[in-house]
Amino acid sequence: MLGKLKNSVMDSQVKKSIFRVGIPNTDRKRVLIVLGNVFLHLHPTKVRTSGVKLRYTWCAGGLSFFLFLVLTLTGVLLMFYYRPTVEGAYVDMLDIRSQVPFGIMRELHRWSAHAMVIMVMIHMFRVFMTGSYKPPREFNWVIGVILLVLTFLLSFTGYLLPWDQLAIWAITVGSNMAKAHPFVGAAGPFADFLQIGGVPLVHPGDDARFMLIGAKELGGTTLLRFYVLHCVAIPLGAAVLMAIHFWRIRKDGGISGPL
Amino acid sequence: MTEHAVVHANPAFEAFKAIANMLADPRASFLGAVGGLILMLRFRRYVFNWYVGAFVLIVEAVVILAGMMDPNFKLIIGKPDNVPITIMLFLSTITLWLAMTQAVNNERRAEQKLPPEEKETSNQKTWVWPDLLYIEFIALILCTVALILWAVYLRAPLEEPANPSATPNPSKAPWYFLGLQEMLVYYDPWYAGVVLPLIIIMGLMAIPYIDTNPKGNGYYSFAERKFSVSMFLFGYLALWVFMIITGTFLRGPGWNFFGPFEYWDPHKVVALNNVNVSDYVWVVLFPKLGDLTGIAWFKQGLPPVQNVVPALIPPDMASIRAFGHELFMAWKREFAGIIFIGLYFLAGPWVMGKTFLKSYFKSLDFGRYSLLAFLVLTMGTLPLKMVCRWLFDLKYFIDTPWIKF
Amino acid sequence: MAANETKTQQTLSPREQAIRQLKVKGYLDQDGKPMGRRQFMVSLALAWATFAAALGGLVTILSAFIIPRVDFTRIESFKVGAPGNFPSKTVNEDFKSSGKFWIVNDGQKIFALSVVCTHLGCTPNWMSNESKFKCPCHGSGFTMQGKNFEGPAPTWLRRYEVSLADDGQIVVNKGRLFFEEKGEFEDPRSYIAV
Repeated sequence: MLGKLKNSVMDSQVKKSIFRVGIPNTDRKRVLIVLGNVFLHLHPTKVRTSGVKLRYTWCAGGLSFFLFLVLTLTGVLLMFYYRPTVEGAYVDMLDIRSQVPFGIMRELHRWSAHAMVIMVMIHMFRVFMTGSYKPPREFNWVIGVILLVLTFLLSFTGYLLPWDQLAIWAITVGSNMAKAHPFVGAAGPFADFLQIGGVPLVHPGDDARFMLIGAKELGGTTLLRFYVLHCVAIPLGAAVLMAIHFWRIRKDGGISGPL
Repeated sequence: MTEHAVVHANPAFEAFKAIANMLADPRASFLGAVGGLILMLRFRRYVFNWYVGAFVLIVEAVVILAGMMDPNFKLIIGKPDNVPITIMLFLSTITLWLAMTQAVNNERRAEQKLPPEEKETSNQKTWVWPDLLYIEFIALILCTVALILWAVYLRAPLEEPANPSATPNPSKAPWYFLGLQEMLVYYDPWYAGVVLPLIIIMGLMAIPYIDTNPKGNGYYSFAERKFSVSMFLFGYLALWVFMIITGTFLRGPGWNFFGPFEYWDPHKVVALNNVNVSDYVWVVLFPKLGDLTGIAWFKQGLPPVQNVVPALIPPDMASIRAFGHELFMAWKREFAGIIFIGLYFLAGPWVMGKTFLKSYFKSLDFGRYSLLAFLVLTMGTLPLKMVCRWLFDLKYFIDTPWIKF
Repeated sequence: MAANETKTQQTLSPREQAIRQLKVKGYLDQDGKPMGRRQFMVSLALAWATFAAALGGLVTILSAFIIPRVDFTRIESFKVGAPGNFPSKTVNEDFKSSGKFWIVNDGQKIFALSVVCTHLGCTPNWMSNESKFKCPCHGSGFTMQGKNFEGPAPTWLRRYEVSLADDGQIVVNKGRLFFEEKGEFEDPRSYIAV
């Protein structure tokens, strides 16, 4: 009876349409299962044995990517409740804590963000210590550095969103650095050299900081800008670069190892 | 506070706390960290084995756990947003140990004319399904469990609603930028906040193109690439991780230094009266020279420099001339600092090429060598200014109304 | 003439017809020679220059999009009371949160000092015991006059325009800032003499 049920499930057209390969009990099937799955085919079908070892990679790159996925999922869930307005943001934080089932979503998001920053740093450390940036992987290292910067920026823009004391003062300090850009920041060196007939071209109303926060002082415009950067612009950029990063690992000869 | 102090008034613990506070002073701890790094790399054969590694981890854990008995220490370590830094401390230790142990192992193998250990299996292939996927699967599950436990046990911090007129004291950037915030103590924002981060990013990107040493590609090694690994470890551990730990745990109200067991007193007074190189020259050195030689010129005091902005469009000759004059005065006032920094960046590459960068000087073309030397020297500006600040209360090497360095 | 031409067109071989077509389109000159290398390079350069200019314009427009024309930060002025309300050598903190300035009477002048630290924009605290403003972010210290005497702040604290209203009260105009490094603290609009 059970055997019959098993056979009718395993041989059904539905099952066969989803799982093409079946139980991977031969090498041929092991190859096909990796090639035939859109997620698994990020991998090659075979990898260097030395590269699979935990003490070589520490799983740092893979965990960075996994944490990015966790952050995407928890972030999307948080977006259902969060309004990026001066009036709404802080109240929504309190609501996400107490009025929403599974009230640790924000915790998961924040701690994953911290963990991702640490993991990306450790990944860079590992890649440096194994000399994996050397030819032919030079360009992938460059992409990796940009991804590191984007990770910092993602975390930094997210820092403002709770709109509490911690948030606005961290961003006040950070955004005032934009003011210090030479030439394009109103308080930076040489900005006041750029003037036409005494009318300054770079002033607090159009300089790099104004561009970043959308006003002369931190406020609703800043919150909206950081929200858009945090939820849409930077994640999209990071996703594109990650695609290139993973693709290049394959194209540059897979995981690094002694030549 | 006093009640806790009475409970734990154990003389040994008090002595431990006093020593820890003393060692945490930036002068002691930074020089200790750099010295420790050098010694560690020099004696790597004796340091990177499992028992020293275990010993260091246990010491770190014991210090933190014992420290938790102190209320002030517990307050800083226990802050939810500071937990990642403690995690980073342990992970940095473990990863450094992992990397260097394998590097030392490969070094020993090289002496016995053996290839690196990774080479043994690097020509073999492993099936992704199931061997790699199963490792990844376990890693993801462990990571998820850790995250959920972390999220259950620690609430994400939420402080009072934003209030633009009351800055909390102290007020800190997100933890991963605390290294940069620490730099802001020593350099102006345009340099510490804009130019330096850009140079760090560009410098990191340039690494594969200036490190042309073909050895050490795809396996852990130190002996074959001593300079590049030492430089990276100095930047990563001493100037990034160490600064983050300092900025998080040891910077208190008024951005003053506090030992890990010290009470964060918002009224702590620390003299921050720093002096420029030009002050030393014109106010201290030259008057003495004037006394010695009897030349009145030496006794003119600090030449005044006004902030004049030249009107370039449309050109206003009077203001341009006035600017030219102030520019000349600035050169005159700051000549010592300008010469020093000029020598640092222009003669530095040559000196390094004759000493510890000899092989790079020979093997790299002019452009790449200049870039390498520039990056090394720029990284050096940080410890340079820090040490000068501690030794001579130095504020700026060059202080003009337009640019301060 | 016209008839002659139509006639020749009919008698042209396919090759000659193709050449004629190319002449019409400008690929060949009247002598039937192809465009010279030089002319080709010029056309190519022109085409790319046009493309680059258009792209540059597009990028400029897109970047300009994120700089709004209007800043909705309100420019306010405050009536803070008669000069007699501010005794000598005191710092008045009544308007620290509402107006983001202190009223300082240093014994010779009364002026409105901005609460924005000139280092990175935090709000310093007035420490009356030590008689200084101390910034919590990076430890910059300012004297009662706003001089940056310690820490990383590069310049003095800014001052706002002050004037006396008809009813004898001091009016602080937040629309005008005065900078020490531009020598503006001698400007009579930046203070009220005691």
